[in-house]
Amino acid sequence: MRINCPHCGPRDRREFTYQGDALALDRPDPEAGPDVWNDYIHNRDNPAGPTRELWYHETGCAAWLVVTRDTVTHDIHAVELASAVKGAGK
Amino acid sequence: MTDLLAKSPCDGLLPLTIGSVTVTEIAFDAITSLAPFKGQESAVSDALKVQMGAAFPKPNRTTGKAHARAVWSGVGQALVLGPPLAPIPGAAMTDQTDAWTCVALEGDGARDVLARLTPLDLRPSVFKQGHAARTEIAHMGGVLMRTGENRYGLMVFRSMAATLVHDLEIAMQSVAARGRL
Amino acid sequence: MRFSALKIIREGLTGNKGWTPHWRDPEPKSEYDAIVIGGGGHGLSTAYYLAKNHGMTNIAVLEKGYLGGGNVGRNTTIVRANYFLPGNSEFYSHSLKLWEGLEEDLNYNVMHSQRGIINLFHSDGQRDAAARRGNAMINQGDDAILLDREGVRKMLPYLDFDNARFPIYGGLYHPRGGTARHDAVAWGYARGADQRGVDLIQNCEVTGIDIENGKVTGVQTTRGAIRAKKVGMVVAGRSGQVAAMAGMRLPIESHVLQAFVTEGLKPVIDHVVTFGMGHFYISQSDKGGLVFGGDIDFYASYAQRGNLPTAEHVIEAGMTLMPMIGKAKMLRSWGGIMDMSPDGSPIIDRTHIEGLYLNTGWCYGGFKAVPASGWCMAHLMATDTPHEVAARYRLDRFETGRGLLDEEGTGSQHNLH
Ligand SMILES: Cc1cc2nc3c(=O)[nH]c(=O)nc-3n(C[C@H](O)[C@H](O)[C@H](O)COP(=O)(O)OP(=O)(O)OC[C@H]3O[C@@H](n4cnc5c(N)ncnc54)[C@H](O)[C@@H]3O)c2cc1C
Ligand SMILES: [Zn+2]
Repeated sequence: MRINCPHCGPRDRREFTYQGDALALDRPDPEAGPDVWNDYIHNRDNPAGPTRELWYHETGCAAWLVVTRDTVTHDIHAVELASAVKGAGK
Repeated sequence: MTDLLAKSPCDGLLPLTIGSVTVTEIAFDAITSLAPFKGQESAVSDALKVQMGAAFPKPNRTTGKAHARAVWSGVGQALVLGPPLAPIPGAAMTDQTDAWTCVALEGDGARDVLARLTPLDLRPSVFKQGHAARTEIAHMGGVLMRTGENRYGLMVFRSMAATLVHDLEIAMQSVAARGRL
Repeated sequence: MRFSALKIIREGLTGNKGWTPHWRDPEPKSEYDAIVIGGGGHGLSTAYYLAKNHGMTNIAVLEKGYLGGGNVGRNTTIVRANYFLPGNSEFYSHSLKLWEGLEEDLNYNVMHSQRGIINLFHSDGQRDAAARRGNAMINQGDDAILLDREGVRKMLPYLDFDNARFPIYGGLYHPRGGTARHDAVAWGYARGADQRGVDLIQNCEVTGIDIENGKVTGVQTTRGAIRAKKVGMVVAGRSGQVAAMAGMRLPIESHVLQAFVTEGLKPVIDHVVTFGMGHFYISQSDKGGLVFGGDIDFYASYAQRGNLPTAEHVIEAGMTLMPMIGKAKMLRSWGGIMDMSPDGSPIIDRTHIEGLYLNTGWCYGGFKAVPASGWCMAHLMATDTPHEVAARYRLDRFETGRGLLDEEGTGSQHNLH
């Protein structure tokens, strides 16, 4: 599995750290209530197929990436900088 | 006050030559990390040019020359290797002079040695002179640059000096042994 | 057919012609009293105890592939009761007791071997944690012995005791821990369930769950619709997909865990040994292969195969602990899909849909849980109330934050448990 970092080019999987579903970029409002927060923290779509997730280029450029990846084939379809993804870190 | 003896990270470990490859330690007068604030990138680059004759490097590149080099070291950040810098307005600067182990790997087989330590594509047409990468060097996060036809600069954190030399030595022995077959 | 030493000798002398299949291959009926989705260890033990403990024999296990083709046939077979937190410790303690009577109960050789587990520690802090865990195990009625460095050396002389970076301070020894033959466990439960009348239906994938007015009424499968008022979802790494058929979104992320085995060697590793400073644990199978593994690959996956960096990491950790294994040739590696929960502990609970039950979140420790999980899941499905040793495996603990069972204290991140 190689991830094509927008900064560094294609790099080996071992340079990256996995964070989880990219839903972490859509942090709910602090007052959104327990249901919304429970869903955000614990529940996952967990698809067998394409999914968007957060990876950190740890021993590379130290950028956070949004990676669109197939959990069945491990194919990587798209890699974007999390800082460039709309709504990231808002 | 007592004068402490300065000891370089690879003191007693280098230089080392095995087969056609040599590793030597490089000592820089200063290593400074330089991170321009948002919108200050070109002003900071200009100021760097004035101080050491080299621009702020683009991602995966170095600028300047031996002992006055800047190497890209991550998002919005470069390490300036060589001259101590005067403060540059519009940038975060940190003195990291004693934080790094810096070595040069040189010789015909240098690329083969490196190939055993990093998963990077090192072919000369891909990783050209003046190119750099933040990557893994024998599982250590480091900075790698190609500074000559058969010459590479390697940097890892200072505390990892002995591990770096150890891993380089094993890789150099393997490459030399291959060469003798 | 009952297995006995006499029967084996007689069959051996008469050309092994008298053996019969261990279970039937029935056609699915149109209706059952209860359906268990998933023919892994947990699904089969659930069916067995539904029949044995609760007299429910008009039931079926629906398996999309073949029995035991999932994680139950892919794990590294470690069986232990060395959990720390109340909620987990009584459950795994119960499970180990069931293991100890399992072969007799099933009349099946599952090769349960209580060879002892030694969890090594490498610092004062780890020693304190091990002592505390050992005390919790003893309080629970299980066994734990704190070994010092020399105690470990006596039992495991082949470890690298000169490693300056990862010095061996001692180990927590759990004598009743050990291993079992993984697929024999699935087969034993399958045979026991079948003998009691349970229909084990293979090549039968559940594709939908029928719900009317908040009650489950049956399932859709690749072999037609089947009605039932009680349905248990026991599908490990596939929990997310199956629960989605009932409109549920689970606190589960599926991750791949790898395992490795070497060529057969003479007996050398007599126990189960785990490294406290890297991801590595090992035992030796009765065939002689060194069976070892480490941590998950850390990213969500359904691929049932892992990546080389994790293999390298595991092998490096192994070489650090016991350099001798570097001489062995590795034969095979494989992966299985883990149902990782946010606190690393399982869920055995009702759902908001009447008659629909959930069994998931086993992470990489669900093999040793097979007996107690089936026992408690059967209790839940038959009586609609949780069994007392699984009472804390509630789905709503994440919502309320009460009763979280985070053994390692890593917080709510699925891949860190
Ligand atoms: C490499 C590895 C090492 C491990 N080591 C250990 C260990 O040492 N000790 C330990 O305690 N645990 C260990 N585990 C964990 C343990 O194997 C699992 O937690 C446990 O087996 C999961 O429960 P199960 O047996 O019911 O799962 P599985 O055997 O995976 O059963 C689930 C079944 O559901 C079926 N299914 C899925 N979807 C459907 C559908 N739609 N319709 C019908 N059927 C469906 C699947 O085909 C599968 O057969 C390990 C796991 C792996 C992969
Ligand atoms: Zn990068």
